Amino acid sequence: MLTLLRRRAVSSVIPLLVVVLGVFFLARLTGDPANLYLPLSATPEMRAEFAARNGLDDPLISQFGDYLAQVAHLDFGESLRTAQPAGEAVLRAFPATLQLAGWTMLLAIVGAVVIGSLAAYRPNSATDRIASFLSSTAASVPDFWIAIMGVLVFAVTLGWLPTSGTSGAAAWVLPVATLLIRPFGVLVQVVRGAMVSALSAPYVKVARAKGASEPRVVFGHALRNAAAPALTVAGDLAVGLVNGAVVVETIFGWPGIGKLMIDSVLQRDFAVLQAAVLLTALAIFALNILVDLCHGLLDPRVRQRAAA
Amino acid sequence: MVASLAVLLAASGCSVAGADPIGGGPDTLRIVLPEEPPTLEPCDASLTATGRVTRANITEALTEREPSTGRLEPALATKWTRDSATSWTFTLREGVTFHDGSPFTAAAAAFSVKRATDSGIDCNVDGYIFADSELTATPVDDTTLRVTTAKPDPILPLRLSFVEIVPTSTDPDSRVREPVGTGPYRIDEWNQGRYLRLKRFPGYWGKSPDFAAATYVWRAEGSVRAAMVTNNEADVAIGLAPEDGAGDRAVEFATNEVSYLRMDATKPPLDDIRVRQAVNYAIDREGLVTAVFAGRPTGQLVAKGVTGHNPRVRPWPYAPERARGLVAEARADGVRTDITLTIIGRNGIYPKAAEAMEVVQDGLIKAGLKVRIKMLDVNAWLEYLLRPFPAGDTGPTLLQAQHGNQAGDAAFTMAQIYGSEGAQSSYGTDALDTLIERAQLASGGKRQKAFADAFAHQNDKVVRDAVMANMTGLLALSPKVRYRPDPSTNDEMRLADMRRAD
Repeated sequence: MLTLLRRRAVSSVIPLLVVVLGVFFLARLTGDPANLYLPLSATPEMRAEFAARNGLDDPLISQFGDYLAQVAHLDFGESLRTAQPAGEAVLRAFPATLQLAGWTMLLAIVGAVVIGSLAAYRPNSATDRIASFLSSTAASVPDFWIAIMGVLVFAVTLGWLPTSGTSGAAAWVLPVATLLIRPFGVLVQVVRGAMVSALSAPYVKVARAKGASEPRVVFGHALRNAAAPALTVAGDLAVGLVNGAVVVETIFGWPGIGKLMIDSVLQRDFAVLQAAVLLTALAIFALNILVDLCHGLLDPRVRQRAAA
Repeated sequence: MVASLAVLLAASGCSVAGADPIGGGPDTLRIVLPEEPPTLEPCDASLTATGRVTRANITEALTEREPSTGRLEPALATKWTRDSATSWTFTLREGVTFHDGSPFTAAAAAFSVKRATDSGIDCNVDGYIFADSELTATPVDDTTLRVTTAKPDPILPLRLSFVEIVPTSTDPDSRVREPVGTGPYRIDEWNQGRYLRLKRFPGYWGKSPDFAAATYVWRAEGSVRAAMVTNNEADVAIGLAPEDGAGDRAVEFATNEVSYLRMDATKPPLDDIRVRQAVNYAIDREGLVTAVFAGRPTGQLVAKGVTGHNPRVRPWPYAPERARGLVAEARADGVRTDITLTIIGRNGIYPKAAEAMEVVQDGLIKAGLKVRIKMLDVNAWLEYLLRPFPAGDTGPTLLQAQHGNQAGDAAFTMAQIYGSEGAQSSYGTDALDTLIERAQLASGGKRQKAFADAFAHQNDKVVRDAVMANMTGLLALSPKVRYRPDPSTNDEMRLADMRRAD
């Protein structure tokens, strides 16, 4: 297990560096932030001063070197927009997204296991067809549209929920539901597929013959074997939540890292963008490692391969 | 997996959901903005996102421009006189205190002017209002301030309406996020990313405003902002488009924003004035403001109320036949009207920006020109707006642009947009440059006339732009509030002007 962990950590360093490098240079290819931060009437001297003060007049390579040296000291630079440390802004926003994504995945997984198992229990029954239809719809609905419709229906028309914001439990419903809908739809189908084949496997027949109760057969024996593929997909879906978080946080005014990222892209706020991407990449690598560990726990063959 | 997620959730610790910040009862005004102010730094008050919260609410200036009349009114200065071409004396208001209890004096005024215009902070106000002009502010005694300028500056008191006054205890060398001012409201709590709350300042020198507190929140999506008012989550929502669905809660108002197309008059076929006139005749402005965006057709870049606005400059009429005739005439004289023009558009510059350009394209094609559209995001578009223009041959361009003169004097429009060397200028003429320079040095009625003449000259003799419309703004108000927006509402939203409806 530890070998696996170590190996994964080492193999994550290169992609992480590529991400940092890519964001750094791509961000700078998209135009001069001075155009956004200085008035349109600014003189050339003002532009030169702005570039000098923010270290944007050095060659790109030396800018990058300086940046890496800074990051080594855990200094992520200063936001152009707010003149605050970029690291602070990112750390302030991160928990909000983590909680949103955490609840979303939790509900998506629990819901998908229940519904997917029910659908798989009697393939081609009415339950199965309804579940399949709804889940494939859910998997393909654009989140932006769902978010706006949710506001119109549940907040404006029915008045059951607040339109947006973060105050009170009711404010969680629309953002979580919007973010949930795609991973939930995909997972139901994955769980269903895996359960259908697991339920027809020989060991299920053996368990039934031994007189195990039906729930125990489904949620004990079969689900344990169906969990591995579902877990892999769930990991990928959790990574995909970064995209969803941008949309959901922007619409609902959720102060998370998705909103921060999109704002810093639009505002050419390099330091904040770099810090946000770095932290997100780290979180994704950590998540992947976590998924692998769970895999190992579920599937002895993975453990043997890792130890070999 | 589930277990680990539960752990993640538990570990994420501090909760997002808190007490309802935007509540606060009938005494609190709840305002939803398109974006969070990046900072409340007073010397960045010319930035819309900052100024609309800061100006006249938290901090005040020596003078204040009345947006509807364009007149300059006393604020922290009660009167001012011009002693010579380069020197002014301001008499300051007595009995004014800052939110921290310290008295407002000439020393604070002098400090604020220096901090905004001559410090290492790189203030937005400095670049926007003072550009490269030098000025010195000296306290004569507690209530008298002398301001001298390196060059004669007839509109110095107007420029000073952008210098927000802060106490001498403010950091002189770096930006402050939460300033102390003399305004009717002080900062109560700023929970970054979530809300900003101001509360009434009991020591305010002027009339106490109606609402005891104001809470700002921000939502990027216009339809969500509108829904917050209809859903009674907010009392004021700004920056709305007609399709955002504010219904009968919506209030329309004239802004100082004018939409226009800048023509690249240095390249054929746009280097021929007949083609530029044809472009103007070919645009159906009435059609645009009825079907695409909200506004009123206009023929010049500054709105009514700005010094230099010329009421005699009318919007160009829609005359497709004349447009076709002019293009044919130019073609007969050997002008290369077969060269494709590129409209450089900017997504989101105003509602339905792309549709507006399609309407323009259609008109120009009917007039006999070849036109394609390239819609860009703001940063790529800025490269085309500002000198030096992008290298590489894009051919002749028409740039979709919008100009809002929030300072109230044509000096903040003319030189940079129509001067031959202006930062946003694609083309100018010597004759127009002379008119602009003359106007900038004039004062009073002469100034008004000189700038008005320059606008007329541009429209008759230069025709570099196709000016389209003076844009209409839209906000939504809850039944709790009475508020009459004015042309500067987008840049300066005075809470004291918001009254209780009951």
